[in-house]
Amino acid sequence: MRPSFRPLLLTLALLASAALAGCATPPPADDPDAIAEFKENNDPLEPTNRFFYQVNDALDTVLLKPLAIGYRGLLPAPLLTGVHNALSNLGAPVVLANDVMQGKPQRAGHTLTRFVINSTIGVGGLIDVATDLGWPGHDADFGMTLAVWGVPDGVFLFLPVLGPSNPRDAVGFGVDTFGLDPWGWVGKGVTVSDLRLTRTGVSAVDTRAGFLDDLDKLKAQALDPYATIRSLSRQFRAGKIEDARGDVTGTAVKKSP
Amino acid sequence: MITRRLLLGSSLVLLALPAPMVPAWADATDAARGLIVQLGKQLTDVANGPGSAEERRAALDKLVDAAVDVEAVARFCLGRFWRTATAEQQRDYVKLFRAVLMRNITGKAGEYKGVAMDVGKAQPRESDVAVSSVVSRPGNAPNKVDWIVGTASGAPRIIDVVAEGTSLRLTQRSDYSAFLASHNNDVQALIEAMKAQAAAPG
Repeated sequence: MRPSFRPLLLTLALLASAALAGCATPPPADDPDAIAEFKENNDPLEPTNRFFYQVNDALDTVLLKPLAIGYRGLLPAPLLTGVHNALSNLGAPVVLANDVMQGKPQRAGHTLTRFVINSTIGVGGLIDVATDLGWPGHDADFGMTLAVWGVPDGVFLFLPVLGPSNPRDAVGFGVDTFGLDPWGWVGKGVTVSDLRLTRTGVSAVDTRAGFLDDLDKLKAQALDPYATIRSLSRQFRAGKIEDARGDVTGTAVKKSP
Repeated sequence: MITRRLLLGSSLVLLALPAPMVPAWADATDAARGLIVQLGKQLTDVANGPGSAEERRAALDKLVDAAVDVEAVARFCLGRFWRTATAEQQRDYVKLFRAVLMRNITGKAGEYKGVAMDVGKAQPRESDVAVSSVVSRPGNAPNKVDWIVGTASGAPRIIDVVAEGTSLRLTQRSDYSAFLASHNNDVQALIEAMKAQAAAPG
């Protein structure tokens, strides 16, 4: 077994044991409005989910957020953009595989074109030339592929470390990370696994740095940040899946006249 | 400089006019798109124009009031609790909702610099009209923003904003309903919490 599997297994075991411990109590049967709301939230594991929300929030406060602030503060802006572009270029094979499995020719074409242009003219993905040339990027992952195939999302899950999800997307994440990502197949040895770890770490900090202000604002403005994140993440996902179904490509940058 | 001042001046004149500036024969879809095109122009003029932060905030305040059906949004966000609230609570709630909304929008006034809005198609969505747009800010990826325009109050007014698939009013309603669920469904508790939000330093 590869060492990178261990934290995931531990996480799943923890989640399973905690999930058995806490379930939300359904509202009384004589309150149809409350029952409708309970069903709409689709969050029967709410006490457990809220627990992991607190854990993640604490981890974020002491670790990820300070790292992201430091990262954004110390590196010059062009370098931050370059790293972000390079990371998304590394993710292109997974996006392409999913575009193809979803049967979306336009999106697959965009992803392939982007990968070729950005890996060459874009200096190994550091510069996102493709977006400027009219091939903006989009997200695609195996959770979305399952959705396009007709698999429902299931109950809301707030996963340790990974955050808001559901059974379908959690499975999708596993398939993308350990099955579809070609960078996981090539090479072995200490250097390669160090490179992989570096990519994962930088990717986490880069992602977090991308919504530093938004999350601060959300936490300041929401009366119940957990419920707000639950609603936002679900709607955001549904929107992405809708785009995938319609073979809609990313939002193009408008050329200034 | 003169052109900028002229732009701001003309946008202030527009502010003074009633929101629906479309002929009566135009159908609801055209009217909705017209509202968003006009709002987009006014918003970018205010955001990119001269004037102190205070002046910009006041201009944004007026824009939002003219274009958004705040009471309809507020009612929607309270959901089933609107019916259980007393008349006084409903009044207090709508007033606070407006105050918090304005605070959240105009508190960001400084961040709108360089903002540009490209209005796309308008199409009917249920009993309302959805107007699509792409909003871009320098240094940020462009965002897909849909403006949902309703005509319940007679004139076309915005009743929801859907940014990258996330609806502002749906999200706000889940926040309120979760808060109420953990506070014995007591609307007064929500009103007190909103008072604190409206008074917090921005």
